Amino acid sequence: MADSKDPTTSKSRGRKVRDAAKGVMYGMAAHGHVTAALRTRMYLEHLFMFITLGDMLGVPVIPPYYSLRILPYAVPNIKSWKQRVFRERDFTDQVF
Amino acid sequence: MVGILETPFLWVVATIALYGVAYWGYGKWIDRNVWRSDAKKATPAHMYMDGVEYFPVSRYVLWGYQFKSVAALGPILGPFIGVTFGWLPALIWIIGGNFFIGWLQDYGSMMLSVRKEGRSFGPITYEFTGARGRTNLLAFVLFYLVIISAAFIALIATFWNSFKGTTFVPTIGILLTGLLCGQLLYRVKMNVFAVTAIGLALVGLSLYLGPILPVVLPFGLWNIAAWAGICVLILYVAAVLPTPTFIQPTNYIAFYPAFAAIILILIGALATPFTIGASPPVGIQLDMGPFLTDPQGILGPIWPILFVAIACGAVSGWHSLVSSSSSAKQLDIETDALPVGGGAMLSEGLLALASLIAYMVLTKSFVFGVAGDATNPPHTNTASWPVGAALLVSRIIGVGATNVLLTTFFGLVLVIYALTVQALVTRFFRLVAAETWSEGRFRIFGNKHVSTAVGLGVPWVFAVSGSWWALWLYFGGANQLLAGLAIMLISIHLARVRAPTKYSLIPGVFMVVTTLAALIWQTWTFLYSVWLFLQGDKSWIVRNVRGPIQADPNYILVAVGINAVFVLIGVVLFGVGLSMSIRLFRSYRSSVVEARGRAPAAADGGTRER
Repeated sequence: MADSKDPTTSKSRGRKVRDAAKGVMYGMAAHGHVTAALRTRMYLEHLFMFITLGDMLGVPVIPPYYSLRILPYAVPNIKSWKQRVFRERDFTDQVF
Repeated sequence: MVGILETPFLWVVATIALYGVAYWGYGKWIDRNVWRSDAKKATPAHMYMDGVEYFPVSRYVLWGYQFKSVAALGPILGPFIGVTFGWLPALIWIIGGNFFIGWLQDYGSMMLSVRKEGRSFGPITYEFTGARGRTNLLAFVLFYLVIISAAFIALIATFWNSFKGTTFVPTIGILLTGLLCGQLLYRVKMNVFAVTAIGLALVGLSLYLGPILPVVLPFGLWNIAAWAGICVLILYVAAVLPTPTFIQPTNYIAFYPAFAAIILILIGALATPFTIGASPPVGIQLDMGPFLTDPQGILGPIWPILFVAIACGAVSGWHSLVSSSSSAKQLDIETDALPVGGGAMLSEGLLALASLIAYMVLTKSFVFGVAGDATNPPHTNTASWPVGAALLVSRIIGVGATNVLLTTFFGLVLVIYALTVQALVTRFFRLVAAETWSEGRFRIFGNKHVSTAVGLGVPWVFAVSGSWWALWLYFGGANQLLAGLAIMLISIHLARVRAPTKYSLIPGVFMVVTTLAALIWQTWTFLYSVWLFLQGDKSWIVRNVRGPIQADPNYILVAVGINAVFVLIGVVLFGVGLSMSIRLFRSYRSSVVEARGRAPAAADGGTRER
């Protein structure tokens, strides 16, 4: 995964050039695939959360016994799940 | 140096210098004075960071991603049609189009999305033009994708049928290597460097086997239809399989030879006056032009045809979708938009330049064929680019210009550029179809297999029946019109925040008018052909289709039908495009009026617009 720019880091010119070249190669060869893999995982996580919390939303998918057993693992992800599910999505978001 | 003026060297240097002015001069000025980008302002990547779609990425990584996403077959084959009017007009459009319009559109689309909280063009169109405008965009994109698919399938089939059949085995080799690499990466969990090494070794082996095991189909004039059918089958599998199984690893492995080809050609073009054994150096042989109309009487006038023939490399609407859909969500700071969006587009201009030079160093008879010569007919020599590229590169690596491995390599590069992009386009069509017909009477068309079959079946029919140049001009017209519409969206936003709009409005109006004119011209060409047929002249009807329909008099009514269908396509593309343009111009006008009534100006470039 690419790291974000850190202006506080002081690097030699050679190191900067090498990092830039590595970044460009990574961006060309792999970044799109990494993002696509992350997106696939996101959709699977959505499914997991929906299955786990479905009965609490009025859509019973699995018996509450199992939901409650899995709940501690699902709770930390509820906020990001809500954020992703409520985000406006469009066909133009799916170009890549 | 002797002969340096006859080589492409100075043109390469001049273009690089002008692109430098576009980036460091005009680009920086626009960035500071029109968009007023601010490195301290939070971007969507930080505001909505989720580690999946929104997360900040280094400008180098994002530049590489943006360049890889926008550089495909367009900048390679567009100049092939463009040089019909002489290489000088083509070069001027590659320089001028990118200088004033191309980079501005890619960069502006990215900045617009950043200022609109990372939203892509669908929601932005909805905001600016209402629900009908967005539906209009959806319809336009669906037609656009069908035309792209038809053009690319026709070209892939033509490439497989050319080069003495040497490119098919390497293509299959790359596809199988991609499948294997996907399994090694995701199932065996092998180290990515080891997988890459194995993949590249297999690609090398496939390339070596290409000339040894040429595949030539025995169907004569039906060869193209058969190759197109094989291509459609491969694309179907690619579109319905999960992306990590097929598209992802295949595109990853295909990236290396495709990227190597670009670098080699650029070095070859720059090294023309100094190359090994250069006596005389590789020189410009093609006509400079300008020819105000196509000398062979097929394409039409230089305006508007040249401006839609060369799309990517000068300006391309596809880029606006890429810029606003993914790159804008990962921009670390606003000031990165110029190197990522603008920089990647100007770099793609260099790819178009390299391709143009690969044509310039060939003879006129080789590139255009000879009228009346059955073995080298006009406008069918798609082998030009690999031969020109091989000529440029052969001098720097010290092999013969006709080295079969070298020409097979560049032929393969053409195929994989088309195939990898087309796999993504087919998948995108499937997703758009699912969005459009997910419910209601036509929901069957939202089904994964049905939508993929439609998204490939209709283009296959067009690909095997229409000439590729006719498809390419429709594709270019639609693509450039999308660019014009994107620039209009940018202008509307700038008007709303009371920023200067003339730098985007003038290119936007030029693109919209030019592309609509090109669509009218193309549609008129097909309509005129049908009209002439009704008057008893069959020459135009058969000119617009490909063999065997072209050659067999029994298929004359089929040829008429194909021309009539192309008239309908042109009318629909023009109608939807015109409707969209009118909505955008109205929205722009009302935005200007509203902004005049509001004070003070949004000095921060956007956040105070409401």
